[in-house]
Amino acid sequence: MRIEISGLTKTYRGGVHAIDGLDLDIPTGMFGLLGANGAGKTTLMRILAGIVRPSAGRVVVGGHDIASGPGRTAVQRELGYLPQDLGVYPDLTARQFLDYVALLKGMDDRSARRRRVGELLEVVALTEYADRRLRGFSGGMRQRVGIAQALLADPRLLIVDEPTAGLDPEERIRFRTLLSQFAGRRTVLLSTHIVDDIGQTCREAAVLAKGRMIFRGTVEELTRRARGRVWEVVTDGPAPAEGTVVSALPHDDGMRYRVVARTAPSAQARPLDPSLEDGYLAVTADQAAAGREPASR
Amino acid sequence: MRPITLWRYEARRTGWAAVLGPPLAVALGIAAALAYPEPSDTTTARILLGGLEMAVPLAAAVVCSTLIGQDPAREVQLTVPTPYRITLLRRMIVVLSWTAAVAVLAAAVLIVTGWWARWPQNHGAFAGQLTWLAPMLGLSGLGFAAGAVLRSPAAAGAIVTTVWAIQQFFADAVQEHLPGRLLYLFATTRGAATDDWLANRLVLVGAGAVLVALALILLGRPERLISEEDE
Amino acid sequence: MTAFGASLRYEFRMQVRKRSVWIVPALTLVLFVLIGGSLLRDLFDPGERPLDPRTGVVGLAVQLHALLAIGFGCLLADRLVRDDRLGVAPILDATPASPAARLLGKYLGAAAATAVPIALAYFGFAAAYAIDIGQPVAMAWALAAFAVVIVPGLLLVAAFALAVPMIMPAPLFRVLFVGYWLWGNIVSPEMMPTLARTLFHPLGGYPLDVLFDFHGIDGEDTWAGPVAGATLNVLRPDPTPALALLSIVLLLIVSAAALAGGHVLRARRIR
Ligand SMILES: Nc1ncnc2c1ncn2[C@@H]1O[C@H](COP(=O)(O)OP(=O)(O)OP(=O)(O)O)[C@@H](O)[C@H]1O
Ligand SMILES: [Mg+2]
Repeated sequence: MRIEISGLTKTYRGGVHAIDGLDLDIPTGMFGLLGANGAGKTTLMRILAGIVRPSAGRVVVGGHDIASGPGRTAVQRELGYLPQDLGVYPDLTARQFLDYVALLKGMDDRSARRRRVGELLEVVALTEYADRRLRGFSGGMRQRVGIAQALLADPRLLIVDEPTAGLDPEERIRFRTLLSQFAGRRTVLLSTHIVDDIGQTCREAAVLAKGRMIFRGTVEELTRRARGRVWEVVTDGPAPAEGTVVSALPHDDGMRYRVVARTAPSAQARPLDPSLEDGYLAVTADQAAAGREPASR
Repeated sequence: MRPITLWRYEARRTGWAAVLGPPLAVALGIAAALAYPEPSDTTTARILLGGLEMAVPLAAAVVCSTLIGQDPAREVQLTVPTPYRITLLRRMIVVLSWTAAVAVLAAAVLIVTGWWARWPQNHGAFAGQLTWLAPMLGLSGLGFAAGAVLRSPAAAGAIVTTVWAIQQFFADAVQEHLPGRLLYLFATTRGAATDDWLANRLVLVGAGAVLVALALILLGRPERLISEEDE
Repeated sequence: MTAFGASLRYEFRMQVRKRSVWIVPALTLVLFVLIGGSLLRDLFDPGERPLDPRTGVVGLAVQLHALLAIGFGCLLADRLVRDDRLGVAPILDATPASPAARLLGKYLGAAAATAVPIALAYFGFAAAYAIDIGQPVAMAWALAAFAVVIVPGLLLVAAFALAVPMIMPAPLFRVLFVGYWLWGNIVSPEMMPTLARTLFHPLGGYPLDVLFDFHGIDGEDTWAGPVAGATLNVLRPDPTPALALLSIVLLLIVSAAALAGGHVLRARRIR
């Protein structure tokens, strides 16, 4: 399912421009969405899911214009959505909750529904807890119920907003593998702050800042943005003032800093190979610098 | 027609107040009738019917006023193909059906034991069911609509109880004019003009239907439900 | 003390900013004016209004109190359980602040905020009336009636509205509360056993009778003292100033008990 977004703007009451003239094409397959807190990722996903109405612009999902009621419903028939703050009904068991959502998704056939719910409980490794009430679930377990819920009707469009938040490392890895396998001919839109997750699953990604797109391309391109800009500095003095410090590790001769900066932060600085995270930091640092210089606007 | 299982899930969402409210209302009506110190059959019958006309609709309406807002899974609800307003309507139908079942049972007991007939303005066993049905639909429609507008169960409940109480406190003043008489909730047991009774009942039913329709139109905008809840 | 102060301040702010705290009393007043027959209109009608300005403002206090207290109680019914629902409770419970001080602050803060529109409505109408009849003394009576009759009644309602939803769903509380309010305030004692017009009367029968010499708007009603043929007359001794005071204190004691009950229930739930 292809998503075509043009001139999309969302202004919340109170004048916050959560999305600001966004043009974006999302092809079939897995697509990553990165951006700082408040960049507008959740807003974009809610618009695509039909919960929030755009203030301006056009969004076409799989040929359906979401501005129209029938268009929205058509998209929702193909949609699996995991909200950032998932709420569940605490008095239901995991199995009942999934059964209920399956009914809401129109899976009226009882045995098919049961089978699907059972499969998904297996997929998210909750079979053992399936008949416990959600009230007693840990945060990560609840998140896994949310993931299962999104996959229920075998959606052609899957929108997951920070799905791996709160998952333990094994579950996180299992889930992102599941996602890429699932993608195939479907569209999966993944937003996350764990840059590595995008690197491990997506071919393409976009970076949002203040409701605008500041990067759109393949994951390799994003990594390349930091080429020649990643440095290692070992010092027992103060941290480098230039650039963004990515990590600081205690070392025998002081601290070992990994820094993303346009120029070498010091004479002893040693260049390093960039990672995806460095690429993301380089892109956002460029954007911030451009924002500071009034001439560039 | 969707599977009965779906209705069962929606019934669970309506909560304990929906289950306990109507029988409790009937019980309170009976208690009030028993507590009357100098029982004359007419007044006892009037209080018994009054319980059906006053307490039962109030219980249903207050529950209906809490249906909108505070749904923990509303973000999922809003993205499934089943429209959320239809889901809310289903929950309201569950509440009203249960209330109706309790009320019909109570009315049947009153009819069989002869108490129904002892209140002169009882309007018979069949049309007489409008005694509780009309105020239940009218007041519940108000509660549902107030919930849709305010998205705060506390506020919507406050409006329902206030409207109910104002009609109790100022029964005479409310019924001085025709519009007030037509919208008066307790026309069977405290009605000022018996001739208006059927018109009053039908207007209440109609008002409830109109209010529910308005609420459903409002609820067609998902954005209203996702943010700005009046906590 | 700081926990009490902080809780008082923020509960007040959060509540007073809510649209519904203003919409509900405003709608109630509109309805009240529309139906007529109440003092909201009659006070400004020379043919209908009571001759004595004291009876005018005290009667207004009774009518507004009787009606606006219902919305007041319903609006407050979710305040204590709300913290748990919104997930704020764990944050607050993890602070060293005393839970009792916080509860007291929440109680007084939220109640005061919800009472602001009621006070504005009451003093607004009373002032308009005082100007209309050219008797400023009406305002003095209004102040006294507000302090002696409305405030204790609202404190009682607020205490139960906070505490009771700990043991039953808030909607059920709303139904029972309005039922109680009608039964324990308005129902005439000849009709059925009731707490109306006893020493425990949230509308304040004893203070109304003794302190304001109030006997209904047309002066023909009894608001305190034994009622011929009624049950529970033990609770309706002949009114005296001491009993008026006792009746106010009784409302405050019961409020405190309800609040303490709510506090115990919450404390138990945390453990
Ligand atoms: N319901 C709302 N009303 C008003 N403003 C909102 C609302 N929801 C979001 N915003 C604002 O819109 C902007 C974008 O928010 P959004 O939730 O889309 O960001 P995000 O990229 O998902 O952030 P995060 O990474 O923290 O989840 C923020 O400035 C936020 O304050
Ligand atoms: Mg977000």
